[in-house]
Amino acid sequence: MTNDEIIGIINNALMKEFELDKEKMVPEASLHDNLELDSLDRVDMVIVLENAFKFKIREEKEIRDIRTLGDIHNFVIKKIREVERAS
Amino acid sequence: MTFTKSLSASEGLSLRQNKLAVLLMNLTVFPLLVLMTVTGIIIAFPLFIIFKIITRQETPRIIRILVWIYGRAWLTIIRPFTGLQKEGLGKNDIKPPCIIVPNHLSFFDTFFMGALPFTNVCFAIRSWPFKMFWYRPFMRAARYLDVESMAWEETFEACKKELQRGGALLFFPEAHRSRDGRLGRFHSGAFKLSVETGAPVIPLCITGTDEMYPPGRRHFKPANIRLSALPAVDPIGFSGPEGHMNMRHFVKEIMAQKIEEMKAENVLSPSGGGRGRK
Repeated sequence: MTNDEIIGIINNALMKEFELDKEKMVPEASLHDNLELDSLDRVDMVIVLENAFKFKIREEKEIRDIRTLGDIHNFVIKKIREVERAS
Repeated sequence: MTFTKSLSASEGLSLRQNKLAVLLMNLTVFPLLVLMTVTGIIIAFPLFIIFKIITRQETPRIIRILVWIYGRAWLTIIRPFTGLQKEGLGKNDIKPPCIIVPNHLSFFDTFFMGALPFTNVCFAIRSWPFKMFWYRPFMRAARYLDVESMAWEETFEACKKELQRGGALLFFPEAHRSRDGRLGRFHSGAFKLSVETGAPVIPLCITGTDEMYPPGRRHFKPANIRLSALPAVDPIGFSGPEGHMNMRHFVKEIMAQKIEEMKAENVLSPSGGGRGRK
């Protein structure tokens, strides 16, 4: 899976779950200020990403540092590459 | 070729009647609302003392009764201009403890909660209503929850206590008033609370308050207002880590469907057709 494909899956999953506009889905979009995701939404976001990519990330400490959509892209891409290397 | 639309005699009469109704509503409702609020503030303390002596209830419980009475007074003022209809809001239809989730169209939606069949309702709302100095002391005394300023864990514990005491909670799952009359995105709080406490969710569909007083407009217009409570949704059917999300999707879907039906019925009814959100 290419990085662009991963980003596409992330954006589509988040757009569907949180009813976000496509125009807002830019890497620099702040989860809180631009996408208006609150603390509970971030919990839901983790579940959405786990379902989309069939991995477990809820225990990962790095999730707490995620501030923007670009941070999510980078985090998930890194995680997928780790899983690929391990398998 | 030019096309000029002229009003027929009956349309012209209807327009004049509409303008007269708008004028009459604003000349009546605004002064009565101010009078009701000022009177309420003045008599709240003596009433509180009387209720306290008679019922020996806790302060928040008594203040919630007073707020409910204020809501009932609002319904009386507004009724001649709204043809208010209620469904599923009888004493046997919904009972606390429960979590009420109305859609949100207007500032005055909260006032219509005087139509609920019980008084012990804790509003879990955003910060801005707490900034209205004339309401703030009552909201604080009623122990309403400012969910925007509180951490979720803190909100959850406070909500759990309310439910354990047999009260009802009220969340606007959209958080904001709708700007286009359509149902907005639902947030998870109310549904997570339901799944974690076992308290049922009562979807409450509101139509017409956006025609009466939408965001951005500063005057009232007569409108057909309907409040329809759907049957309670039990969280038992929504288990697992995604339970609250599935419940949120389900409740939004049934509310969206009911609201569309209500709007369609309003258009078809003789008194409801043709009113816009201007």
